[in-house]
Amino acid sequence: MKLFSSYNRILSVITLSGLLVIGFLFYQTLGQYLNRQMEDHLYEELLEVRDFAHVKNILPSPDGFDDVIVEYKKIKKLEDQRKFFADTNFYNPKKKHKESGRYLMTQMVLNGQPYELKIIASKFEREEQIKSIVLIILLPVIVLLLILWLVNRVLIKKMWIPFRQILTNIKAFNINQEEVFKPIETNIDEFKELNKAVLDVSLKVKSDYKEIKLFTENASHEMMTPLAVINSKLDTMLQSNTLNKEESEILADLYKATSKLTKLNQSLLLLVKIDNNQLQDKEKIDLEALLYERINYFQDFIQKRNLNVNTEISKLSIYANRSMVEMLINNLFSNAIRHNYVGGFIKIVLTPSSLLFSNTSTQARLDPVKIFERFYKDNASEGTGLGLAILKQVCLRQSYTLAYEYQEGQHYFKIEFNNPS
Amino acid sequence: MKFLIVEDEEGLRKSIDQYLTAEGNICDWASSYEQGYQKLSLYDYDCVLLDLTLPDGEGLQLLKYLKKVNKSDGVLIISARNSLDQKIAGLSMGADDYLIKPFHLSELYARIMAIVRRRNFNGNSLVQFNELEIDTISKELKVNNKLVYLTRKEFDLLLYFVTNKNKVISKSAAVVHIWGDEADMADSFDFIYTHIKNVRKKLTDAGCKDYFQSVYGIGYKFCET
Repeated sequence: MKLFSSYNRILSVITLSGLLVIGFLFYQTLGQYLNRQMEDHLYEELLEVRDFAHVKNILPSPDGFDDVIVEYKKIKKLEDQRKFFADTNFYNPKKKHKESGRYLMTQMVLNGQPYELKIIASKFEREEQIKSIVLIILLPVIVLLLILWLVNRVLIKKMWIPFRQILTNIKAFNINQEEVFKPIETNIDEFKELNKAVLDVSLKVKSDYKEIKLFTENASHEMMTPLAVINSKLDTMLQSNTLNKEESEILADLYKATSKLTKLNQSLLLLVKIDNNQLQDKEKIDLEALLYERINYFQDFIQKRNLNVNTEISKLSIYANRSMVEMLINNLFSNAIRHNYVGGFIKIVLTPSSLLFSNTSTQARLDPVKIFERFYKDNASEGTGLGLAILKQVCLRQSYTLAYEYQEGQHYFKIEFNNPS
Repeated sequence: MKFLIVEDEEGLRKSIDQYLTAEGNICDWASSYEQGYQKLSLYDYDCVLLDLTLPDGEGLQLLKYLKKVNKSDGVLIISARNSLDQKIAGLSMGADDYLIKPFHLSELYARIMAIVRRRNFNGNSLVQFNELEIDTISKELKVNNKLVYLTRKEFDLLLYFVTNKNKVISKSAAVVHIWGDEADMADSFDFIYTHIKNVRKKLTDAGCKDYFQSVYGIGYKFCET
C-alpha cells in the first residue's frame, strides 16, 4: 500500500467515527434540550388547566387548547401526585393522523374530584427543527472534510514529486556507467537530506567498485606472474637432456598442478568480475551458430568417448554479453563431456526460449542446491569446482533461470532465457 | 633474429632469454620502462616482448612511442591482464599479438615466429625443414615438393613443432596450443598422442623421415636425430 493511501485510510476512519460520535452526541443533547423545553410548555398548560377549572368550575374541553390535547380520567382517589413526562404516539384529531408527541401525566383534584390528567403535545415541529439544525451544521462539516481531503491529495502528490524523482534517478543509476547519481533540485530539507545521502552512497559505491576492479586486475597480475615464472622454469627444465624417467614424471605432475592453479585463478577472477558486473557490453548473439561452432570445437572429445550427440536446435538470437554466453555454453559442454561415460549420449535442445543440455553420466543424482556452490565437486572430478558456480552467476547476471534435474539416469541443465530478443 | 624482452620479473626474463637464444637468436632485455625506452630508441628488433605492468610505467606507452616514431618492430604483449578491453586496447594500438601469463615458452616462440613471418611478408611465409616445406599462409605442406594433406589441427601442430624444433614440448603446452585454455579435460593429453601419430603416419607415408621423438611420456621433440 502506498504511504498516502495508508495515511488516508487511517485519517478517514478517524474522521468518520469522530463525525458519527459527534453527530450522535449533538443529536442527543439537542433532543434533550428540546424535550425540556416541551416539558416546560406542558407544565404551563397544566397550570392553565388548573386555573381554568378553578375559575370556571368546569373542565376545559379536551381540544380547547391550540396545540395540545388534554385527556381526563376520573379516578377513585389520588395516589400519585408526581408528574410523569414521556414520549408517545397519539392520534392528532386536527391533522387526522397519528404522530409522535410528548405527554405529561399527573393526578390532581379538579372541581373537588380526583382526575388523572394527560396533556399531549406534538413533537413533529420540534423534530423538524432538530433535523434542520443537524443538517445545517453537519453538511458544511462534511463538505469541508471533502475539500480538505481533495486538497490533501493534490498537495501530497505535489510534495512527493522530488521523492519520485530521486527514486527514478536511483533506478537509473548504473555502476558501470561514467555518470554518477543525478541529484535533484529541491528546497525541502528532508529531500535535500535524502538526496545528499543517496549521492554520498552512490559515490562511495562507485569508488568501492573502482577499487575492486583495480584489485581484480592487480590480483590477476600478482598471481599470474609467479605462475608464469614457474611455468617458464618448468619449460626450461624440460629442455635439459638429462631428465630420467622419474624426473620426467615429477615434471609432468608439476605441469598439471600449475595448469590447475592457473585455471583456478582464472575462474576465481572471472567470478569476481561477473559478481561485480564487469562484463556488461551486450551484443546480439546467434546461439544456433555458436552451438554448432562449439560442437565442432569439442568434436575431438566427443569422438574420443564415442558420445552420441543429439541436437534439436532452432534459430535463436539473444542480446547478451558474448564472453558470458560463451562461458555458459563451454561450461555446459565440458560438464556434459567430462562426466559422461564412453558410448553415452548428450542431447542439446535449443527452443526459442530455452536451452537444454542433458547427458548420461557416471554419477547419480546430484544435490540440486549444492551443485551450484563454489568448490562443490565430487572427488573424482578433475575440475576446479567453479564451473557450475560460474554458470549460475552468469545466469543470475543475465536474469536467466537455471534449473537442474535428474531423470532416469540423465542430468538435465535447463536455461530459460526470460528476455530473448 | 633479434628480440627485446621488456619484463621486470627476473625469473621469467631469464627463462625466455634462455629459450630464445638457444637457436642462435639474440636477446636484449629491459626490466623497466626507462630501460625499454632507451633500447627501443637506439636499436631495431624483429620482435619486442612487452610486459604491460612495469615498475616505473605502463608498457602501452612504449608501444605508443614505437608507433609514433614509425618503427616497424613486431610487438607481442605478454601480460597477466586478461580482460577483453585490455586486449582490445593493446591490439588496437598496434601490437601484433597478446599472450596472457602464464604461458608455455614454446607457445611464446610460436607466436613470435608467426609475428616475424607476418612482418616479413614477401616470400617468407615458407618454413623449411629438410624435406618439409610449410606454407604458413596457404596452410599447405609439401614433402619433397609433393603436397601432403593435413587437417587444420594437424597442420597447426606440425607448424608448432617445426617452429620449436630441437625443443622438448610438453603435452600440456601442445594441448593449450591446439584447443586453448578451455580444453583442460583429463583425456585431452591423449588426443595429442593421436594427432601426432596421424601426422607421423602422413609424413612417413609421403617419404619423410620421422623427426618426432617421444620424451618419457611427458612430451615430444621434433629434431634431426
